[in-house]
Formats: sequence, C-alpha cells, structure tokens
Amino acid sequence: MQAKHQRNAYFLAWSLGPLFIFLTAVFLGPFVYMLWLSFTDLSFAAPDRTGNFMGLDNYSRALWHDEVFLGSLARSAIFTLLSVSPEILIGIIVAEILYTRPIAQRLLSPLFALPVLLPTVVVGLYWRIMLQGEFGVVSYYLAELGLPAAKGILSNSHTILITLALVDIWQWTPFVALVLLAGRSSLPRAPLEAALLDGASQLRAFVDVTLPGMLPTVIVIGLIRAVDSFKEFDKVFILTGGGPGNASELSSIYAWRVAFRRWDFGYAAAICVLIYLLLYAVSQGVLSKIHVGARR
Amino acid sequence: MSTRIWARYVLATGLLFPLFCGSCGKPAAQQGSKQANPSTTSVQKASWTLGENAKPYSGKTIRLIGEDYPPLQAIEKLKPDFEKATGIKVEVERYEAEAVLQKIAFDLNSKTGRYDLIIQVYFDMGRLVTQKQLRPMADFLAHPTLHNPAFDPEKDLFPLWKTMGWYEGKHYGYPMMALTMYTWYRKDLFDDLKEREAFKSKYGYELGPPADWKQYKDIAEFFTRPTQNFYGTLVQGKKHMALWQEYLNFLYSFGGAVMDTRDPSHYGPIVINSPQAVVATEYYKSLLKYSPPDSLNFTWDDALALMQQGKVAMCLMWSDSTYALEKPTESKVAGKMGYAMAPKGAAGRIHQIGGQSYYIPTTSKNPEAAYLFIEWMLQSDIQIGQQKLGGASARKSTYETPEVLKLPWTSAGIAALDHTHPAMLYTVPESLQIGDVIQLAISDALADRKPVQDALDWAALEIKKVVGEKAVLKYQPK
Repeated sequence: MQAKHQRNAYFLAWSLGPLFIFLTAVFLGPFVYMLWLSFTDLSFAAPDRTGNFMGLDNYSRALWHDEVFLGSLARSAIFTLLSVSPEILIGIIVAEILYTRPIAQRLLSPLFALPVLLPTVVVGLYWRIMLQGEFGVVSYYLAELGLPAAKGILSNSHTILITLALVDIWQWTPFVALVLLAGRSSLPRAPLEAALLDGASQLRAFVDVTLPGMLPTVIVIGLIRAVDSFKEFDKVFILTGGGPGNASELSSIYAWRVAFRRWDFGYAAAICVLIYLLLYAVSQGVLSKIHVGARR
Repeated sequence: MSTRIWARYVLATGLLFPLFCGSCGKPAAQQGSKQANPSTTSVQKASWTLGENAKPYSGKTIRLIGEDYPPLQAIEKLKPDFEKATGIKVEVERYEAEAVLQKIAFDLNSKTGRYDLIIQVYFDMGRLVTQKQLRPMADFLAHPTLHNPAFDPEKDLFPLWKTMGWYEGKHYGYPMMALTMYTWYRKDLFDDLKEREAFKSKYGYELGPPADWKQYKDIAEFFTRPTQNFYGTLVQGKKHMALWQEYLNFLYSFGGAVMDTRDPSHYGPIVINSPQAVVATEYYKSLLKYSPPDSLNFTWDDALALMQQGKVAMCLMWSDSTYALEKPTESKVAGKMGYAMAPKGAAGRIHQIGGQSYYIPTTSKNPEAAYLFIEWMLQSDIQIGQQKLGGASARKSTYETPEVLKLPWTSAGIAALDHTHPAMLYTVPESLQIGDVIQLAISDALADRKPVQDALDWAALEIKKVVGEKAVLKYQPK
C-alpha cells in the first residue's frame, strides 16, 4: 500500500512538475521580478539609474504626484463603462432573439464570431481606415447624412472615448451575445413555462424568470469584458495614440509611454502593478458576490 | 556595468515586453578612444581597394536594422554590389520607426548582439553613448585597411554630419541621410492663370511659393475649399513624433526654441514657454482652420497620403517622402509639384533637420565588416544610387551630379540644409523624453484642451523635471 502511494507521488511529481516549473518560469517568476522592479529606479535613459532600490517612491509618485496617471486610470474606467455596459445590454437582447429563433441562430452564429476572430490590431487598422477623415467610408457617409463633424471624428477630444467605445462594442458584442446565448440555453424551461401559464407577459417572464437565471453568466462575462476593456491597448494605440492631447490616453497606453518613450522601467513596472492590483481587487469583489449567491 | 545590472535589464525587458527574445552574445572587443588622423598619402589612397581589405571578413554576415522607408529600401537594393565585392553578407531588418527604437533598446541593453549596425535616429545618440552602447569611430578611421583614405568625412559630408554623428566632441556615427523639411506646393495650381488672378485680386500680390508665414496663411486660406474636399494646408497633429518635429519648424522660425543652446549635446535654459514660442504655437494652431478636419490624427504617413491624393495645396514635409510623392504609380500629383524653402519668420527661414545615422553598437559581433559597409554606402557613386531611389544624401558630391540636380526637389533640399539651426533636435540623453513632453503639450494646445500659454508652461515644467539640475527655467510658468 505504501509502495503504491509512493508510486502515485512519483507519478504526480513527474507529470505535474514540468508544468509547475513552466508556469513558475513563465508567469510567477516574471511577476515577482516586476514587483521587485517596481521598487527600483531602473531606467534606460539615465546611466546612474541602474536599478537602485527606492522603496515605495514609485508608488507614492503614481498615487499622489502623477495627475497624468490618475487621469489615465479615470479614462480607463470611463472607457470600460462606455463599452461594456452596452455590450452586455445588447448581448442580452441578441441572445434572447437568437434563442427564440433557431433558424436565425444557425445562420447568424458563424457571422457573429467574425469580429472576435480578428486580431485586435487588425480591428484597429480596419477602423482607422473606416474613420479616416478624408478616405474613410464611415466618416464619409456620416458627413453625407448631415454630420460634417464626422470627418474629424478621431480628432475630437470631447467625443473620442465614445468613438473608441463604439469600436470596442462592434468587436466584442457578438462574443458577449454568444456566451449569453449559451447561458440562456442552459436554463431549465419549466419555470419560464410556469410563469407564462400563470399569465405573465413575455416581457415580465423574461425580466422575472429568465434574467435572474442568467445573472451568473452576465456577471462573469461582464467581469471578463471589464478587465479586458480596462487593459485595452492595441485598438486605441492604433486609432489615436492616446490623443488628441491625452484625451484617450488609457492607463495601459500611459504605462507604454513611460516605458518606451521615457525608458523609465521602474516607474512603468509600478504602474503595471497598480493596474493589476486594482483589477484584482475588483475581480475578487465581484467573484465573491457570485460565491455568496451560489452558497445561498 | 556589472553583470547583475545587465541581468536586471534582461529580466526587465523580458518581463515588460514580450517581443524581447534572443540569447546573450559576448560583447565585442574593447576599443580605444583616440581620434583618427585622416592625413594620408596619395600612394595609400591609390592602393586601397575594398575587395582586398575586406578579405579577412569574407563569409561573415552583418545584420543591420532601421526604419522601413525608401532610404533603407534603397540599401536593400544596393547591397548585392557590396556583397559581391567583399563576400560579406548583409541582412537588413526594416520596421516601423517606433519598433526600431524598441528593438534596438532590447538588443543593446540585453547585450544580445543581434545587430552589427544600427540605423538610429540621431537624437537618441546621447542616450546610447552615455550607456556605453556605441563604439567610437576613431579606431576604424585609424585602421589602415578599414578606412578608405579617399574618404574624408570632414570634406565630403555636409557640416550636419557632426550634429548627427558626434557627441561631446567624440565621433560615433555617420549620417545615413541628411533629412530636412521644406515646402511642398501644387505647382500646377500655383501656375494656373485663373487661380493666380483670383488670388491677386483677393490678397493684392502674386501667388507663388510663400515667402513668409503671412503669405503661407493667405495661400492656405485661399485654397481651402471644403465643399470640394480640398484644403490649403495640413498639420501633422497626432500625438506622435511627427507633431514634435513639424512643430519645431514653426517654433524656431518664429524665434523660439526648446532650450536656448546651439550645441545639441549640451543643455541650455528652458525657453519652450517664451513669448516667441507662444506666438509660434498660436500661429501653428491657427492653420488647423485650413487643414482637413481630421488633422489632429495625422502623422507624416497621413500627410503624404493626402498630398499624393491631391487633396491639399501645400504643406511642410520631410525630404525623404518626396520620392514617394513623385512616383506616378503611387501619386496623383507626380510631376505637378513644386518645392521651396520654408517661409520666413522672425528668425528667418529655419528648416528642421533630421534623419538617422549609422552607428556600430559595442555588442556588434562584426564591427569591422560593419564599418566597411558604412564607408561603402558613403561612396559617391553609391550615394547617387541611394539618392535616386529615395535617399537624402549627406554627401555634398551627390548634389553635383546632373542626374540628382535635375530632380525637382534637389535645389529646395540643398537650400534648406543651408538654413537650419544646429540644435532643433537635441542629442542629450533625455531627447526622446523631451520630445514626448512637447508632443503632449502641443497636442493639448491644438485640441483646445489647454490654452497655448498653459500648455507651454506645463511643457517647461515637465522638461525641467526630466533634465533636473542640468537646465534652468528662463521663463517662470504663470
């Protein structure tokens, strides 16, 4: 019996050991190093800043002295709100429509997958061409429809976050809808049918029975999308570079600027850690609600 | 620098930037710092041949990296002749400008030694020198078989080779091209009799290439016809390197500056918020009225595309883009363009200079072969070949050849090179950071996010933060 346990232990060590080493090397190791880096002054621009330990200076600078960073965090939050809320709302409606119309579901599902399959960089380039003031198809037709300001749609610092959110909605709503459709399909039919038999209207039954059933799926996909949107880089970088001014400079773009334009790697690492901590805290908060709900 | 610190660099780049890869190579041999004495005898000049002197390096491969645009594409086309003559293989890696900066940073800081030769924007030179990442050229110049005695950079190159290749009195590189910005204008429209009459009746003087900034604005206003989708000028207004560098033409021409110095490798008082700078920036901003509505999202690429499509009457543009503008397969306005010096401001006609230089990293595994390639590229006949393929030669003799002289943009380019300021782009280690500050400040001003004075005051304070005690503020921000 003891020999069998020993054999099992060896088997586990040999089979999981490489995976553990790989994960440590690829994820944990670099993360710990980034954490260390965030306490240093490492810079590629100043020969005297060779990675000297400086305690919490980078964090203090980011949280209390760097208005540009705090502004970029606020913009990331606004961008997330502007993009994820409509994605969820439209996603729920589309999922319900597809669920109740199987033929449409079969025909449209493959099409829905298309924007998701495109690399984000390609989406950025695609919309850069579509929204280009002089050659862009979208800006042209919007101008023809009596919106001449559309020709400068990527140059408008007041509306740029909305424009970028619309591009994000275009890319991700189909994915959200497909996930919600899967969640909707897994719900038991009986409660809904009972509600309808009791005389509830379709809308009432949807709001009181279907939607609460879908809530865990909505929360999970909302969380995934929120984290993803908060980290958004590629599309915004290609479309505006964070401009005009810093009107669309999200926190990820700011981190890039600090690292690659200013070569200030210690400070860039601190910014990355802060973004990570913020997202981790929010995710844990949301996930704990789901766990509480599950225990009930 | 200790191994421990390099290890930090390696880990830092690997952690933050997934593109980083590669293995560490041995640093190349150390070199001395003596400056070369180019005095040579005519016997030496006559006996020096590339094929003979390259024999020890035959069979080696050198890898170079640079920005993907016509001058580097020209190198790709010309290199087979060098390979044939020397037996040295040349591999060229071409990327977008930002990617070049990053890849070079990874390579040099990790000591990977992937690149034997880098073609880097010259304003990043100070950062690389202070990090001890570039080899001084002195040893190569003093080497009897590596340096062709017939090549005398002092005599053969434009004086700006010192701005682009020297840092604090020491020689580190050679210009790959001597770029400058000048006025592009639609000659066909400027010569059109109806247009000329209409212009004269409205403004009281003849239509022609703008002599000063007032004329520039008049002409821009005259040609702005949004209903026809045609605009008088354009502004490269995206928060990008293009904005920083276009803006400097206006700033210096109006008598302003970023720092008050004529030596690009030395700091001077910070004057980016001077009264002259405010006037220059207000003027620059005023041109948005005559530019396409999406101007705040334009870089040099968009500017070139719009000009090629014939949607803009005139603009300030980099000389290296002219080739693409005059290429009939790519441009609707090929053969219809005129070129002139930039308009005159309070400080005269001042043209931005720029471009990249050849540098040999300390980590280069084949520095001698790389040096041979640089000198070969700078030969007069090769420079002419590169010029015809879209280069902007730093060698004077290139502009004496009839083939180059007949190019419609040559005279404007030469005149622009004679009217410049030696320190529009600095080579101090913080140069890119200063540029980043200027981009953000001017972008904010153009987008009306801040009044011009506030944006420039902010820029002055930020530059002060970047350079610290090395420079003082001349104008206290309000």
